[in-house]
Amino acid sequence: MRNKEEKVKGALHYYLQSTSGVVGAVLVLLMVIVAFCSIFGITPYDPVEQHVENILQGPSTHFWFGTDEFGRDVFSRTLEGMRRSLTVSISAVTFAATLGVSFGILAGYVGKWFDQLVTRISDVFFAFPAILLALAIVASLGNDWHDTALAIGVVYTPIFIRVARGPVLTVKEMDYIKISRVLGFSSIRILRKHIFPNVFAPIVVQVALSLSWAILTESGLSFLGLGTQPPTPSLGLMVSEAQPLAAFAWWTLVFPSLFITIVVVGLNLVGDGLRDALDPARRSS
Amino acid sequence: MNNEPLLSVFDLGIATVQDPRTLVNSVSFHINSGEAVGVVGESGSGKTLSALTILGLLPRGVEVISGEIIFGGKNLLNLNSEELRQIRGNEIAMIYQDPMTALNPVMKLGKQLLEVIASHDGINTNSENQVRDLLSEVGIPDVNRAMESYAHEFSGGMRQRIMIAMALLLSPKLLIADEPTTALDVTIQQQILALVSDARKKRNMSMLWITHDLGVVANLVNRLNVMYAGRIVESGSVEEIFRKPKHPYTAGLLSSLPTSTGTNRERLTSISGVPEKPWLVGNSCGFAARCSRAQSRCHNEIPQLVSKEENSVACFFPLGSK
Amino acid sequence: MSLEIANIEKIYKIVSTQTVINALNGVNITLPTGKTLGIVGESGCGKSTLARLVTGLEVPNKGIITWNGLPVNNVNKGSFSTKKSVVQLVFQDPYSSLNPRQRIGDAISEIITVHKLVAKNLIESRTSELLALVGLADDLKNRYPHQLSGGQRQRVSIARAIAAEPNLLVLDEPVSALDVSVRAEVMNLLIDLREKLNLTYIFISHDLAMIRYISDVVAVMYLGKIVEFGSWEQVINNPKHPYTQALIHAMPDHTVIGNPESLAKTLEGEVPDPVNLPTGCAFHLRCIKATPACAFSTQTLIEISPQHLVACTEVSV
Repeated sequence: MRNKEEKVKGALHYYLQSTSGVVGAVLVLLMVIVAFCSIFGITPYDPVEQHVENILQGPSTHFWFGTDEFGRDVFSRTLEGMRRSLTVSISAVTFAATLGVSFGILAGYVGKWFDQLVTRISDVFFAFPAILLALAIVASLGNDWHDTALAIGVVYTPIFIRVARGPVLTVKEMDYIKISRVLGFSSIRILRKHIFPNVFAPIVVQVALSLSWAILTESGLSFLGLGTQPPTPSLGLMVSEAQPLAAFAWWTLVFPSLFITIVVVGLNLVGDGLRDALDPARRSS
Repeated sequence: MNNEPLLSVFDLGIATVQDPRTLVNSVSFHINSGEAVGVVGESGSGKTLSALTILGLLPRGVEVISGEIIFGGKNLLNLNSEELRQIRGNEIAMIYQDPMTALNPVMKLGKQLLEVIASHDGINTNSENQVRDLLSEVGIPDVNRAMESYAHEFSGGMRQRIMIAMALLLSPKLLIADEPTTALDVTIQQQILALVSDARKKRNMSMLWITHDLGVVANLVNRLNVMYAGRIVESGSVEEIFRKPKHPYTAGLLSSLPTSTGTNRERLTSISGVPEKPWLVGNSCGFAARCSRAQSRCHNEIPQLVSKEENSVACFFPLGSK
Repeated sequence: MSLEIANIEKIYKIVSTQTVINALNGVNITLPTGKTLGIVGESGCGKSTLARLVTGLEVPNKGIITWNGLPVNNVNKGSFSTKKSVVQLVFQDPYSSLNPRQRIGDAISEIITVHKLVAKNLIESRTSELLALVGLADDLKNRYPHQLSGGQRQRVSIARAIAAEPNLLVLDEPVSALDVSVRAEVMNLLIDLREKLNLTYIFISHDLAMIRYISDVVAVMYLGKIVEFGSWEQVINNPKHPYTQALIHAMPDHTVIGNPESLAKTLEGEVPDPVNLPTGCAFHLRCIKATPACAFSTQTLIEISPQHLVACTEVSV
């Protein structure tokens, strides 16, 4: 019978058959490369360096995406901005998924008062619009990227609780779970081998979607002046700063917005591809 | 008395719209006035689709690709939706396995039933009495209270009776029943079968009864059509088919059923394999793969329904011959 | 060796609506090894509740179930006295009985792996052996459930249950959800396995014909009690309880043809409600032989002829 390695290869094979999945993966990969360029310092210019003599120049061979009102290279700033966006969103979603999925699965499986408690608490969080909640947390914590990540993570934890808990409630009632108990399997084994594999597909898809929402939230927070502070670039901050300039310096607005769009659309497509790849019943074999 | 059949289905073909797969293939049968006809088959046999077509109730993605359905001198397949609407309920009524799909959960019973009359003949002073009489006939206790109740307040068996009452309200000429008793307990099923049988005889109403349960049709219908993989494989009187089945599938099915009477317990003979999907059957007999009598002709030619004495059978080597 | 079900009562309470469901109201059965008990009844009779109690999925409120003197396992407490479970279970629905993400081979061998019933290097061959026992091709090991037909899935469920090397197999409507032409094969498989492995079966069904085909002894249940008990010949060919008689009469019988009279003489009334138990005999409201006394005296099983028990005082011997 097959082991984990072959199962992963199998899933990969199906993933590659999904057009949206492949396109999405390519887009996301591109953006990840972009982010890595920034991490390793492979940018044409220093993102915060001001070239006073080149203020508000359009795209040229020197400055591929043009310059902003301080003469800073928009291309380099975009690369750095993407890095920030991805760092924050990955940290936030890792936090939210780990916490949310654990509590969600436990709440669904154990039920009773524990389930009630977890559901009520997550309902309270759900009642707040995401951005307001994030605002409140960031305002009280601070502006460092890890504060922003924590804020977004806390805001997105309830959705992982819900996405994990719902399928567990359904799967728990299946005959094969009852039979597993009659066969004498421990709860740990049942959770690990019979419940988790049947609920993790929607969780993985949710991870991809949440990553895209987190990037938008981070952009939103920066746009509003919380989150990343100038002169550090963040895609949302760049869009905010470009507002008064857009009419005559379109490049300051278009490029950061475009990159936000590419990464968000890419992540959504990856989510679609994952959904198709992970459901054995969808495969026609 | 008119010797024309009440309903005639000729060469009916049904397939999926996209990526066309044949689901029903050249099905022909007829129902005479006052007669009860059964259609028996397993999953994928096409029995339900054939019946749904009569009232134009095919699900999305499935369409009629050939054939005619003649009722009252008209081809039902050519009628527009308004003409069909007038026939539904009024001349041809249908009852289903799940009565909840026929009943509006948020409307009181009395109102729902009156609405059926209103949408066809129009309400008159006698309508409410008509409804009450019918509810009483189908065995609903305390009719007055029932009129003011909602669907969910009734048990499964009661809801079936209500659905039957609804179907009989406009005195249709033909009642189509799609497995209405499959989900019911056995003693309740018997009550419903007795009720339907009595109501039918009282009104000299024709009936088309669809089921997978051979025991149910044994005493309910006069004639029977056995369907397999989208085609009718045997057709004729219930007695002939049950006592002297000619098609190997019918015979195999009958001998795979355990009996509930007798002193012996003979080992059941099973038919190996699974019911064939109609669209996977090429130019051959759909049952050939599972048939112990199959020969090369069966794999290369489609047997047509041929009359033998009382019955018709679609088989090159039917039982009781050669 | 035998299964003893002694004075079982089971009540379900729904807190939100304050309803009490009397699922089982005093059931007693002794079943020797190698015999098959057929339990027949309609909705609300308690047969599925009994299945859950015997397999340990639930615990009775009163009474005790033992195999060979030892109480059957309480699955929730995870207290398993031996590695091989005494009782295993096959359910009705072939679609929800198998984990859609687990390959067939793994599904069957998991119990063997977990309880180390066989040496590690022999697990694969043992799985092949089990597949062959239930008449399935060996290459199905690597397939997923959705690639199998309903009949094949039920065979896999049976193989999985046998892999645990049980003494007793509870089969709750194992063929009811299968196509008619497929049922005979699975029934014959069960009969063959019973002989090969000396299994004891509890076969639950609403289909009297299936019950008759496979059972040695039959228990007819109504509203949480057994109303008639005996050998299959006694109960089905010579039923004494009015409910059994009505049930047999109501069963569609394809050997009786063209007799519209068979549709007459139906049992009146609704399927019984375990929430509102009638006083006295649970069946008296629908019984054609009921006397005023029946509303007051709860019936107990009386032996009217050797090994044939009926819970009815109006029965003529």
